[in-house]
Amino acid sequence: MEEALRPRLLPAQEPLDGQALASAGDTELMAACQDPESASGGFQELLSRYRKSALALAYQMLGNVEDAEDAAQEAFVRVFQAMPQFRGQAAFSTWLYRIVTNTCLARIRKRRSNAPLETLSEPAGADSPSDRVTDGLLTRQVLRQMSPGLQAVLLLRVEGGLSYREIAEALGLPIGTVRSRLSKARIAFRKLWNELLRETAGGAPAIGEGGATPARGLPASGGRASSAVDCGEEER
Amino acid sequence: MTCRSFQKDLSSYLDGELPGARSARLEAHLRVCHHCQKEMAALRGINDHIRAASRHLRVSQDFDQRVLRTVGYYRVTTARRERRPLTKPLVVLALILLALFGLIRQYLTRNLPLPVRAPQPAVGGYAPAPHAVPTLPGPERR
Repeated sequence: MEEALRPRLLPAQEPLDGQALASAGDTELMAACQDPESASGGFQELLSRYRKSALALAYQMLGNVEDAEDAAQEAFVRVFQAMPQFRGQAAFSTWLYRIVTNTCLARIRKRRSNAPLETLSEPAGADSPSDRVTDGLLTRQVLRQMSPGLQAVLLLRVEGGLSYREIAEALGLPIGTVRSRLSKARIAFRKLWNELLRETAGGAPAIGEGGATPARGLPASGGRASSAVDCGEEER
Repeated sequence: MTCRSFQKDLSSYLDGELPGARSARLEAHLRVCHHCQKEMAALRGINDHIRAASRHLRVSQDFDQRVLRTVGYYRVTTARRERRPLTKPLVVLALILLALFGLIRQYLTRNLPLPVRAPQPAVGGYAPAPHAVPTLPGPERR
């Protein structure tokens, strides 16, 4: 009787054991989370699948590991609390990244209103003070100087790997706005990157271009406001 | 179309979000335009920089435990919140009753006359005789 009365928002399924959990899709795991028998296992599997990417997204948005861990953990707790209401209207990753993004944006707003920007810290896992690490610092400085709206769109796409439709769902924006914001975000990133690189390199010009490995300098932006040169090729 | 109009599409093309026909036109243009090829490489570079910045990030060992502990904590606090409407008024009621009892007791002990005590026997004076136990007649002796 209780079973019949208990609301189940995702389709019912057989309880999942350890192996089945590991091979189950996200939707199956979400359904498992709504079943008291397998809720714990389902949630732990989702946690192990997405903790790294949730942390990476939070880290890119917040700029330091401690805040990122706190934000990612808070996001998972909010996911757990909201699990009974999840109706499968979006992919789990979209839902999670939306919660991570909103958690981080709230923290950024609080930080900006309450405290001056803290100095950037290296991630605990960074190996050595190589160019790669310096690039990591530069990247986070650039991201922190971008507007939160542009930063969120860019990170959901590049770090989270969400499609434009998923980003639109996650942030409650039209797809056209996502498209234009992404283009603007890339132009802004590039401009800030080259400015910061010039400052840190003592006035040295931005050099190099993208290749197989990340380039230190990025060619000047080819956006609307840039000095892009038309090649003269006309499309017939 | 010119480079500038193609460049507007580069970001969407990089993300695989450019509709088929426009994508095919851009690909044809990229084959012949070095400037747009550089632009494209720069956009890829941005993606690479961003991904590289978090590549060496390590999740702390107790990350899962902290989440699960917090989730457990939330369960406990929810249960406590559900119990609170019953326990809190009961505790308050018990305290009120206790206070009332104390006040009444204090009032009564102040206003009642002192309890009358039985007179204590004076040392070496009269002492009441022990209660005489009636003896039953014994068996008749012949």
